[in-house]
Amino acid sequence: MNNATIKTFALMGQPNTGKSTVFNALTGARQHIGNWPGKTVERKEGYFEVGGRKYRILDLPGTYSLFANSEEEMVTRDALAGEGIDVILAILDASQLERSMFLLSDFAGINQPVVVLLNMLDIAEEQGKNIDAERLSRALGVPVLPVIANRGEGLGTLRALLESGNLEGGLLNTSALEEKYRINPVLSELISLMPESGIGMYSAIWLAVKLLEGDRDAAGYVKDALGTKTWVQIERILEGQKEGILIFSDCKFQWIHELAEQSVSAAGGARAVRGRFDRLATSGRWGKFIALGIILGGLLLSIIVGFSLMGIIGAIRGAVTSSLRTWFEAVNAHGALTSLICDAILGGVFIALDMVCYVFAISLVFGYIEEVGYMARISYVFDGVMQRLRLHGKAIMPFLLCLGCTIGGVAGSRVIDSWKQRLLTIAISWVVPCIPVWAVVGVMGSIFFGFGVVWVVISLFAAAALHMFVTSIVFGRSFSSPEDRTGLIMELPPYHRPNKKTLLSFVWYRMKDVLLRATKLITLVSVVFWLLSYSSDGDIASTILYRAGTFIEPVTLFFGLNWELFTAFVVSTLGKEASLGVISALFSTAGGTVNLFELGMGNDSAIQLTAALMTRVSQPQALAFIFGVFFTVPCIAALGATAAETHSVRWTVRMALYYVCVAFVMMGIAYRVGLMIL
Amino acid sequence: MTMAEVKEGQFYTIRRIGGETRFLSRVTSIGLTPGTNVEILQADGGLPVLIYARDTMLAVNRLEAMRIEVEASGDE
Repeated sequence: MNNATIKTFALMGQPNTGKSTVFNALTGARQHIGNWPGKTVERKEGYFEVGGRKYRILDLPGTYSLFANSEEEMVTRDALAGEGIDVILAILDASQLERSMFLLSDFAGINQPVVVLLNMLDIAEEQGKNIDAERLSRALGVPVLPVIANRGEGLGTLRALLESGNLEGGLLNTSALEEKYRINPVLSELISLMPESGIGMYSAIWLAVKLLEGDRDAAGYVKDALGTKTWVQIERILEGQKEGILIFSDCKFQWIHELAEQSVSAAGGARAVRGRFDRLATSGRWGKFIALGIILGGLLLSIIVGFSLMGIIGAIRGAVTSSLRTWFEAVNAHGALTSLICDAILGGVFIALDMVCYVFAISLVFGYIEEVGYMARISYVFDGVMQRLRLHGKAIMPFLLCLGCTIGGVAGSRVIDSWKQRLLTIAISWVVPCIPVWAVVGVMGSIFFGFGVVWVVISLFAAAALHMFVTSIVFGRSFSSPEDRTGLIMELPPYHRPNKKTLLSFVWYRMKDVLLRATKLITLVSVVFWLLSYSSDGDIASTILYRAGTFIEPVTLFFGLNWELFTAFVVSTLGKEASLGVISALFSTAGGTVNLFELGMGNDSAIQLTAALMTRVSQPQALAFIFGVFFTVPCIAALGATAAETHSVRWTVRMALYYVCVAFVMMGIAYRVGLMIL
Repeated sequence: MTMAEVKEGQFYTIRRIGGETRFLSRVTSIGLTPGTNVEILQADGGLPVLIYARDTMLAVNRLEAMRIEVEASGDE
């Protein structure tokens, strides 16, 4: 093998086998996350170096089999049988050896070299199981390396083998499995119609089994390769062959069982299926309360950690900005340039930094809860409820986190494995009002409606529920097909202690990634807002926002907003609470000097709402405004977080446009209804 | 009887699984095939049935549980 070419590994394993732990432990921060081309499945790739040589590692989606059920399985299968992979690292969970070997048995027949990583040996030992890795290796015909990935044990062996050049993947010995497959009477007939060497990386018997199992994608593949004439013959053979999937799954498990019998000696140790905590966590009566308690507790902890860090960032921001301003003044820079750099660009960068502090705290706290294995319990107790929104039970967690800050919810959605489900969760969770929204509702609501604010809140909740439902349909169409329904049968992995080092390095890496991805978008939006709201003489009347606002006032009035409210509505994108500052400025000083952008960037400004507000804004208009701010896009920091988390600016923009449209509809309705009843 | 009618704490053996290929591939790939022994950990009303099979704790929705036929196996 040429030294210059990079060797590529592909990581294959079922969910919960510790695949990501191995991936993170090997690559550290050298990861690249995106999507598979043209697919709604996340693609994780990383690099590592051993002995001066660079290796590429591809983390394939965690799937239970290679049957073409969903995009995840398709992606995995295509990657495994594709070009450009040198060795497949197949991860097995030693504590559930037989079940986790199913993927390997389903893979057997794809002609690629394999090295098996036997993970979770510590848990297997606790269960009283002793696994003879050498025997297993001899039976499978491929190297089997024992590892305990979450302690980092065994990966050193892998590295050492790489360094000495002794890591050679082997082809799986499939003869015993094939013998079992031949129980099916038509199998050999099918094989005889295919080239002896198989098609592509697939062996003939593998394809024949998949055809009999009823795998449509495999059928298409064979049809394309062999032509219609042969395919007609194949179809005739397949006719009347039913339940192939049950028969062949049984063959696979039999093969696995025989392998396990040779290599596993069970001492019959203690088997702790469900401890006392888990009984409560999964109980119908207490499960939901425990889940809510843990999520809210986690949220509180994240807020404490996140806000302390933000305090530090805030101090740095103050120092940097003021010294920069002084310097600009000293060199007599143009006022506009100073403002652009200090307010818009630095402001944007610091918003991104603030956001990342919170993302760090959320990722750390909830990453820990995820690593422990608790998230599956939340899924279990909430699946029934969340399925009505076409969502995974775990989605309850991001929703609750959004009650604090939308960024938290967006960052928290990472525990949802499927990219599509994650996007749908984020799309719906944007409806959930964050704390600053309540400040707007509280202040404006109580000024205009007194105790009637209760009714405003109730109608907001009703509208929000409807919004979530409609959004789940709108985005669900693109992101949730019946075949992707998760949670119908779900594994609840045992609890285990996470590796702090791996978790920390992972969180650190994600933080950097989020910062890099989000800063661009946030700064861009920030600069746009700056352009809109910049005024050379401090007079609001000379801002683009004012001119545009007054120009289209006839249109916005249709939705109940005069130009002042409209300006506040637009600025709320910088931060929902910013809209209060704008209102305060516009109505109290009435044309005095004010820097809209500084208000928007969250500089503290006392809200002094004068009688001017009451005389110039009617109750229906105020209602429309409250609805507008409540339902419009979350702030730019949350937009940046979304773009980073979904690694799709396109979808973020689509969601944002959708939310702005919905906000206008909501404002229109609130205003019209308000005119009638108020 | 189906897995939706099982009793908590009892042991059963899966006899038959019905449904379309997609469903069957999901169920079998997670370890439930005819002949598999399962222990019922929890079967209370609203939540999915919680079972233990092939060294794994699994949750099976009611609707799906109805398509899995089981037989009491009595032994441990």
